[in-house]
Amino acid sequence: MKILQSTIHDSLSHIVLLFAVVVPLSLPTWSYGDDTLVVYSGRAERLIQPAIEAFQAESGIHVQMLTADSTALINRLRMEGERTPADVLITNDAGTLERARELQLLQPATVSDLEKTIPSRFRAPDNSWIGLSGRVWVVVYNTTMTRPGAISSILDLAGPQWKGKIAIPSAGSVYLQTGVSVIRALQGDEITTRFLRGLKENAGAFVYGKNRQIVAAVARGEVAAGLVNHYYINRHLAKHPDAPIAPLLTDQGDQGMGVVLNAAGAGITAHTKHLAQAQALIRFLISPKGQQTFADVNKEYPLNPHVTAAPELLPLQSFQVASVPLSRLAQLRDPTMTVIEDVGLR
Amino acid sequence: MAVALMLPLLYVTFSALTADPAIWRRLWTTRVPELFFNTISLSLGVAVINLTLGISLAWILTRYAFLGSKVWDWLLILPLSIPSYVLAYTYTYLLKRGGALEHAWQTIAGPEAGLFSPFSFTGAVLVLALNTFPFVYLLARSAFKNFNVSFEEVARTTGANRVTTFFRVSLPLIRPSLIAGLFLAILYVASDFGAVSLLRFQTFTYAVYQQMTGRFDNTAAACLSLVLVACAFVFLFGERWFRQRSRFYQTTGRYRKPVPQPCGSLSTLLFTGYLLLVFGAAFGLPVLLLIQWTARAASAGDITHQFFGYVWNSVSLSGLTATAAVICGIPLAYLACRRRTWVGTFCVQGAYTGYVLPGPVAALAVLVLVSQTVPQLYGTILVLLMAYLVHFLPAALQGMESTLQQLTPNLEEAARSLGARSLRTFFQVTLPLVRGGFLSAWILVFVQCMKELPASLLLRPVGFDTLAVRIWLEASEELYQLAAPPALLIVVITIPVVLLLMRKDQT
Repeated sequence: MKILQSTIHDSLSHIVLLFAVVVPLSLPTWSYGDDTLVVYSGRAERLIQPAIEAFQAESGIHVQMLTADSTALINRLRMEGERTPADVLITNDAGTLERARELQLLQPATVSDLEKTIPSRFRAPDNSWIGLSGRVWVVVYNTTMTRPGAISSILDLAGPQWKGKIAIPSAGSVYLQTGVSVIRALQGDEITTRFLRGLKENAGAFVYGKNRQIVAAVARGEVAAGLVNHYYINRHLAKHPDAPIAPLLTDQGDQGMGVVLNAAGAGITAHTKHLAQAQALIRFLISPKGQQTFADVNKEYPLNPHVTAAPELLPLQSFQVASVPLSRLAQLRDPTMTVIEDVGLR
Repeated sequence: MAVALMLPLLYVTFSALTADPAIWRRLWTTRVPELFFNTISLSLGVAVINLTLGISLAWILTRYAFLGSKVWDWLLILPLSIPSYVLAYTYTYLLKRGGALEHAWQTIAGPEAGLFSPFSFTGAVLVLALNTFPFVYLLARSAFKNFNVSFEEVARTTGANRVTTFFRVSLPLIRPSLIAGLFLAILYVASDFGAVSLLRFQTFTYAVYQQMTGRFDNTAAACLSLVLVACAFVFLFGERWFRQRSRFYQTTGRYRKPVPQPCGSLSTLLFTGYLLLVFGAAFGLPVLLLIQWTARAASAGDITHQFFGYVWNSVSLSGLTATAAVICGIPLAYLACRRRTWVGTFCVQGAYTGYVLPGPVAALAVLVLVSQTVPQLYGTILVLLMAYLVHFLPAALQGMESTLQQLTPNLEEAARSLGARSLRTFFQVTLPLVRGGFLSAWILVFVQCMKELPASLLLRPVGFDTLAVRIWLEASEELYQLAAPPALLIVVITIPVVLLLMRKDQT
């Protein structure tokens, strides 16, 4: 028995030894292939994967994605400089894309019919980034716990009557950062700070990293309302048609500042080595076929006006949108972060 | 070599100290107090549960003999094989509103009863305590096993009852082991990234990561890292100081080993119930869930060729790191054992600084260093390898050092005196004798790398998602089924290693 054990132990150690030598030697041969298109993506994988897969099937170009936070990807592109393997940057926020443009990380896209396909307010002035899908920052409320009349402005959520009843995104969420940037631009720092203090007080422990979790918390009745991008509500309803939740567009009417509209978009990196393939990807993403995946699967607003949004959504033209251009979001971002951190949102 | 290992830390310190005072002021007034409070209260909460679980389990298993008590001895180590983020994600499922545990609780406490949310202080304490209690248990167990029962007998004959004896005599005598176990657990909790990030509980380590990924520059992250590392150093020195002060010696008299008492069916039932509860919560239930999800994922066709790609990434990278760690460790271990000079000691201590660096800090340190010196390397596998090395070389070094120490220099000297050169001496005399110890060091680093999360997330090259990264990405989207296969695989790989290390520990 002892002998057997020691033989096993011996041969085991030989195997490990062999492994310890062979594996490292074989590693340098690994690569993802020269003709692969590399996409840095700040979007949740399952929201962008359908479009990418459709592109691969149609074009035969292989795509390799790296998923991380949008801001982290910008930091990464900066550090990699001209050595970057990335060909296309996709993010969930136009402000981040504009920041990338300012840092000269992107190049103007020359895609035929771009001007005719995507309205100019959803593009960078020089086409360095192109909006692909629109999302509206709305209130999701539980229909059994509150009535829509209780909220007319987003600022109402800071009122004491909402203590312990609302869920909000965490400070790291770009949606929150964009929303707060817009409110700051239109209302000033003082009102914004008071609003954020109220939000923090009211949300307590209901601070979430993901929109999905906020919608789920409202649907389960843990809180009466929450702040999310509209399509998470529709996605939840598509799966659970009986969930007692509904979207609410705030700040409408003559005096209202309008809802915050943001765009997820893409840009070609300044140092891409696969320009033609990168342009092919952009062309596909703005084409009716690509745009349809954002509309059908994600329930976002396709920004190509020839493609219609999912029928359960209010038409994009039918409500009032806050009048802060997407390209201004970048410069608003850093002071906004300081305000958010000064208030102490998590 | 050792200097290279210390450089990243020095760079972080430098960029933190040269940061704009406004950043420091902002962090100090807004973030730092909350982070201090959260990190310390989390550590204390975990410590209390760890002590309770660790001592009671060790006491039951060393002092009583009942059906299956030998098996439990082994089973209670297994929770160490589950990475904290895997345990956290199974508990976000178990504890969610309308989840399995809430239903179970409502049948006991009435339909209106609710459980605490996993995304809370209580949730974080529970998950991390279940993940770390074996540290305290193991040390308490070996202390109780080597305990001199005469002390207790004296107490009993002078009229103390069982309870008083336990609290006034037995516990104080094993205090050094308890403290050591607690220190280990607290260090683990304070440097944990996986569980707190999935449970969104703000600690220092998590805040460093958030600053790195949410801001356009790394200065604030470096500042927070510096505070964290300073605390860790204070903590380590505190531990050493405490250990030196509290030593207990057996002076004279006879030593009697404790003999486990056989117990009746009622206490057997009670003990087994308690053990089942703890083991089920810390290992059984989560692993059953993982198996169930994996089976479902397999039948739904979710385990694709991509999954095997992730496996290969993890395995090859971990293998590379482990080999590099052992190769780098050889000269350092040599310096530590054979040539005790000032420079040597300095080098070895320098290499150990990686111990006090939580994952995100190690990643940040390497990132800052590389970007300032050789930016060409950024985005390659070498950067990730460097971060792993900074982080895990200390663990390898510790094992190699102690192996080498057990080998008498006389053997090497004999070889040298017979005319062998030093290289030949090393390969023909030393290496064959220390092979076993070096091998366990290799395995240890390999397993740690397989589980590593924050540095992999931050530094992975394109197309190099590891198993841990996939678990985290899927779990943070609450896609339980997709996260399960890689999680189960990591647990399965870790189990034999944990058992192997424990067997070595016992003999």
